[in-house]
Amino acid sequence: MNDKTTDAPQAFFSCRELNAFYGESYVVQGVSFDIPEGDIVALLGRNGAGKTSTLRSIARAAEPAVSSGEIWLNNQPLHEMKAHEAARAGVQLVCEDRRIIPGVTVEENIILAQIAKPLGWSLEKIYSHFPKLEERRKQEASSLSGGEQQMLALARALARDVKLLLLDEPYEGLAPVIVQEIERMLKEVQTMGITTIIVEQNAVAALKLADHAIIIDSGEIVFTGTAQEVLDNKALREEYLAV
Amino acid sequence: MTKQANFWQYNKVVLVFALIALTMPFWFPLMGGYSGLDTKIMIFCIFVVGFDILLGFTGYLSFGHAAFFGIAAYTTGIMLKSFSDNILPAMFVAVLLATLVSVMVGLLTLKRTGIYFSILTLAFAEMFHSMAMAMLQTWTGGENGLTGMPTPMLFDIKMQGASVFYFVTIVAIILFYVAKRIERSPVGLLMKAIKSNQTRLEYTGINARKYKLLAFVISAFYAAVAGALMVVYEPFVGHEFLGWHQSGEVVIMSVIGGVGTLIGPMLGAGFMLYFENVLSVDLGEQWLLVLGAIFMAVVIFMPGGFMEGIARLKKRYFTTVDGE
Repeated sequence: MNDKTTDAPQAFFSCRELNAFYGESYVVQGVSFDIPEGDIVALLGRNGAGKTSTLRSIARAAEPAVSSGEIWLNNQPLHEMKAHEAARAGVQLVCEDRRIIPGVTVEENIILAQIAKPLGWSLEKIYSHFPKLEERRKQEASSLSGGEQQMLALARALARDVKLLLLDEPYEGLAPVIVQEIERMLKEVQTMGITTIIVEQNAVAALKLADHAIIIDSGEIVFTGTAQEVLDNKALREEYLAV
Repeated sequence: MTKQANFWQYNKVVLVFALIALTMPFWFPLMGGYSGLDTKIMIFCIFVVGFDILLGFTGYLSFGHAAFFGIAAYTTGIMLKSFSDNILPAMFVAVLLATLVSVMVGLLTLKRTGIYFSILTLAFAEMFHSMAMAMLQTWTGGENGLTGMPTPMLFDIKMQGASVFYFVTIVAIILFYVAKRIERSPVGLLMKAIKSNQTRLEYTGINARKYKLLAFVISAFYAAVAGALMVVYEPFVGHEFLGWHQSGEVVIMSVIGGVGTLIGPMLGAGFMLYFENVLSVDLGEQWLLVLGAIFMAVVIFMPGGFMEGIARLKKRYFTTVDGE
């Protein structure tokens, strides 16, 4: 018997030998890593390295298809769950594209996140942290600016009992001023002690927030260490991140 | 806002509908509608309101809802003929059976989306249609249709003329109220979110499949009630009740009226049945050409249907300072 693959791991979050495919292309190749509770990990790498695929595999998105491997969150086997079950188990993916549910209002977007239990922040608490969303609560969600949509996506994640926050390119396509605003929000998330994985092109911005760094190249992990190590090691950044 | 004020706010539309519907026998004949057309319009109002819960809320376009309409109609007819002339047990069994069938059909067809879903529903309906025409001929009467039902009764009341109209209209008002309740409930919100982005909805911990099926079954329930009432209105069931033409008509009514607005499809149903009646007197079958032209004009110039037209007029002539 092989205990390694049958028992829940010790770490709060753990990914073991994760393999995933987009059709024929092998996008996540045997990725394994652990995250202690409350820590923030920056998942870095070039375009097409497999960062978003790893994140989507963890959130149990329909694509890419996970062929083998285990994902554990707080002793729950995410690899056996569907997307909505993983969400109930506490995974919240904040996608890189337009991150909201269009066609309904800002407030309805938050209410939708509060239908399935368990719940996180109340509407009042969300509005006190994101007053801009309260201002626009009756507005159709897709009419928000990119930064506000990102804010709403984050608020929606917090409206649930989030145990693992997955942020996919939170800074992508936003004006510098908005980036600062999102940065401030994420700093706040950092102080709340939510276990988080950030995928970001802007490596330095992500590393400033993160405790640990993982670098992926061609679907495989090529570096694991502290965020500071990557910030200090210019050669490493040049080799895998080209920054 | 007080609770009472909220009640009026929310149910204004239902009350206006009730008022217009219940007074129909007084003003409708003045417009040249034959007696009984008002009942037929009310029946189709039920059908399309339910259909809008599926098409308008979740965005799933079914081309097979005639199946549930037809199954309920046949069952009602057979029950009236062989069991009792009381419409309540007949309608109950008919609606229950059609709704159960819809659970099965829904489970299979909702595995696909878009055009594939539409084609699958169409295929199912055609299957039921050919079953009624051939295999089940002994019960359905095949090509000739199901006839020979006794006059339907509601306990001691003969279901003819005005009593049918008021019975149907009261059912329509209740079901419209229920649809409005669904619309503003969390479940209604979920259904609308399915239409905009199902994948994203699942990330909030919601099993979208469950709610898609719910919308499908609710809409089939409405179609079944309409089908059963059709037999109460006119004790005859033809095989065309199950046909694709019937399914298509409901889609056209919804699109002309304004998908997703609940009230729009009812306007569409009223418009279509009324003009079918008025125009077909002079034009016969040619009236379908006119309908086709109207349909195209609406889709091209007013994709939101009559409701969009009304909203545009309102905006032009009645815009107030607060924009509401």
